[in-house]
This record gives sequence, C-alpha cells and structure tokens, in this order.
Amino acid sequence: MKLRTPAVVFLTLVAAVVIQTTLFGTIRFITPDLVLLVSVLLALTRIKPELVLAITFAAGLMVDLIGSSLLGLRAIVFMSATYIALRTRERADIGRVATAIWAGALTFVGVLLLVLLGTLFGQSTILGEHVFSRLFTIPLANMLLAFLIAPILVRIVDHNPAALRY
Amino acid sequence: MLTRDRQPPSDRAFPTFITLVVLGILLMTFHVRLEGGGVVNVLRTGTQAVISPLQRGVAYVVTPVVEAAEGLGEIAGLREENRALKAALEESQAQLIAVQDQLARLDLFEALYGLDELEGDLGRTVANVIGRPDPLDAGLIIDRGTSHGIAVGQPVVDTNGFVVGTVSSVTSVSATVVPITGSREALAVLVGSQIGRLNSQVGSREMVLEIPDAKEPVLAGTRVLTSAQSVLFPAGFPVGEVLEDAPLVTSAVSSTVLPFVDIDTLRIVVVLAWPSDPLSASGQDEIQSDVPTTTIGETTTTGQGTTTTEGGS
Repeated sequence: MKLRTPAVVFLTLVAAVVIQTTLFGTIRFITPDLVLLVSVLLALTRIKPELVLAITFAAGLMVDLIGSSLLGLRAIVFMSATYIALRTRERADIGRVATAIWAGALTFVGVLLLVLLGTLFGQSTILGEHVFSRLFTIPLANMLLAFLIAPILVRIVDHNPAALRY
Repeated sequence: MLTRDRQPPSDRAFPTFITLVVLGILLMTFHVRLEGGGVVNVLRTGTQAVISPLQRGVAYVVTPVVEAAEGLGEIAGLREENRALKAALEESQAQLIAVQDQLARLDLFEALYGLDELEGDLGRTVANVIGRPDPLDAGLIIDRGTSHGIAVGQPVVDTNGFVVGTVSSVTSVSATVVPITGSREALAVLVGSQIGRLNSQVGSREMVLEIPDAKEPVLAGTRVLTSAQSVLFPAGFPVGEVLEDAPLVTSAVSSTVLPFVDIDTLRIVVVLAWPSDPLSASGQDEIQSDVPTTTIGETTTTGQGTTTTEGGS
C-alpha cells in the first residue's frame, strides 16, 4: 500500500512529460505546461511538503534533461512555484474556480521566473518567437486544465474520493 | 474541511527549498562548465533514451488525430487554396521546363570544361517531428537517432531544403533539433555576393543580418543562403529573405531576415549527413564559431568566440 502513492505520482509525472512533449508539442494554439501544473497541484495533496518539493525538483530536472536548455533551470523554477503553492494552498480550497485561478497564477509566476532565469543564463532556446505571448497563454491554458483535472488528480494521488469536493 | 489531513508546511520545507535551489544552481554551474558534455550529456542521453519509446508510441496515436483535427479546422479555406494551388502548379510546370532546359545546358558546359562536383550527394535521413520538450523550448524532438545515422551537430532542413537548425542531442531512436531562430550560434550566410552572419532575436522569428565588410547595400527580397564558410551547414541551402533595404553605412550593413521555415508548422524534417566526419566538425566548433568576417574575393581572418562576443565586436 505504501508504495502506491509514489508509484501513482511517478506515473502521473511521466505521463505528464510524455503528453506535454507529444500531444501539446504538436498542437499550435493550446500550449499548457502540464508538468508545471501537476507540480503545483501536488501541493494540494497530503504528501509531505518536503517530499513535494523534492518530487517537483525531479520533475523539472526530467524536463531539463529532455530539452535542450540548461540543466537545473526548470528544476528550480518548478520547485519555486510549488513552494509558493505550498504556502498559499488554502486559497485554492474555496472552490473549483479558485483552484483554477490559483493554479493559473502560479503558472504565470513559474513561466515568468523561467523567462527571467533563461534571460540571465542566456538560454536563447527559451526566448524564442512566442515567448511574450506564451507568458499569458500558458497560464490561461493551465487555468483551464486545472479547472478540469485538479480534483481528479488530488483524489487519485491521495486515494481519497472525498478530496476537493468543495 | 478539505485541509484536515494535509501535512502543514513544516519548518523543514524552507531548508529543503533552499537546499534544492543550491543543488539546482550547482547543476547549472556544472552544465555551463562542462559545456553540455560529460556527465550532463550521459544523463541527458539516458533520460531521452528512456522517454523516447513512450513519446514515439504516444506520437503514433496522437499525431494523426491532431492533424485530422487541424484539417477539419481549416476545411473552409481548402477549396480556395486548392484553386490557388492549381494556378501555382501550372506556373511551376512552365518554370520547370525552363529550368530543365538550363540544366541540360549546364550539363553540356560541365562536360565541355570537365567539371566535377566536389562533394557527392549528401546523405539524407527523413524524420518526423514528434513533439517539443516544453512550451517555451524552441527545440523539436524527431523520431530518428543514432541507429539511423544521426549525430550531434548535423544540419537539419525541411522537405523543400530550407534551413531548420542543427541536432543538439541524440539517443538511439530520437534526437533534439535546435532551430536557427533559437540558437546562440550565429550562422554564416551568403547574401548576393557578400558574406554575413545571422543572429537570432529574443521573442521574434526574424533574425538579424550583419555584414561587417560590406561592399554594397542589401535590398529587400534578396535570398539568404548558407555560406561555404559555415561550419554548421553545407553551402547553398536557402535560409530566408531580407525584409528591408539596408544602406551601406561605414562598410557595414545590418538588416532583418525572415527565415523561410515556420518551426510551428513543421511535421517532417530532413537531417543531412554533413560533415562526413562529425567528430572533427564538433571539435572545430569549439575553437571556431560559425561566423566569418571575410568577403568574397578578399582573404581576412575568421570570427572567433561565441555570438555574444561577436555581437559586441
């Protein structure tokens, strides 16, 4: 039983990475950051905060390793967004819309941080053609996705069908 | 209440956060110091090798669905586009006949003067674009890797031969391509009879063209090709076209170039087996960037260092 939660979290993150790099990599107009969203939503689960930070760091590292930019960049960004999520998660408990807005706002923080750090470290692959528009479209897409998947994800990870029933 | 079972952010959360930030900075430092090679490269290749089969499997299912959905979205304009394409086809067929005539004359002259091609046809590997690493990452993931003859540093073009970018990392069954619009390295190009360099810009598809030792102004619409002095691309591949007239100012010309390739719409790319010895080429890149400072007919020195350095000089 104890292995079930780590297994579910691991599979969820791998699925998020694969879907992000394939499905959302080929769709031109909808560009959510699924891995960042899952990282933020893990803050709503019953997993220990230290573990959540370590998991999201690993998730960011995995995306770094798949991509072509600096190793550790997304690891720091995803983990920082999750840290803010852990400190503010009570605000997401009001309702499904609040959860979505909260996730969108944290995604905006994450994307902004990624662009800022990418600029500081000269990561030109991050500062491509759509960087300014995606500062806003990614949080919007994540907001929409959070509205749809946040309760389901938390229930699956926590094995608690009553979780996030507002 | 919803939060009754949750672990509150303990005193250990902040130290953990700081520790991981430090770890992340250390990783970034290692990456910069190792220039993406060594352990970083092993880790990257290993991770991609594990994820690639999953990506290929999902892409196999997802890509046709996405293309069908996109096709349905664009169906309204297809009839009109079909009519325009028919007209373009007729025009192209007429041009083809003229080109065939010129090619026949070229063959005749080559035979008369005993000219041979310096290099044979380049090896070409056609690959499907199966995704992107991240919504902000300009890189493309393709479904061909070392088992198909792909190596780091090889140039990538689209099906029309327009320049796309270079292979940045490769596993046995997949590779990541960094497009020229997202690359830090300047690209040596030929504009008319002059050699210049193309640099990418932040947040824009347009690239900056600089010709340090220009002899003449550059006109809008001029085609920009890869230069023979490039260490990243074979010569003669179309890159884009100049967007605006650039007058000659103190022997330097600067303008903007719009690449022919739109990275967002790419589904198939072609990886060129060039140079024939990739190891020596990658070694060359370390000491010599893709930027020349020579003009045809004149011999001067070759540019050194990174794009930043060159941009500043």
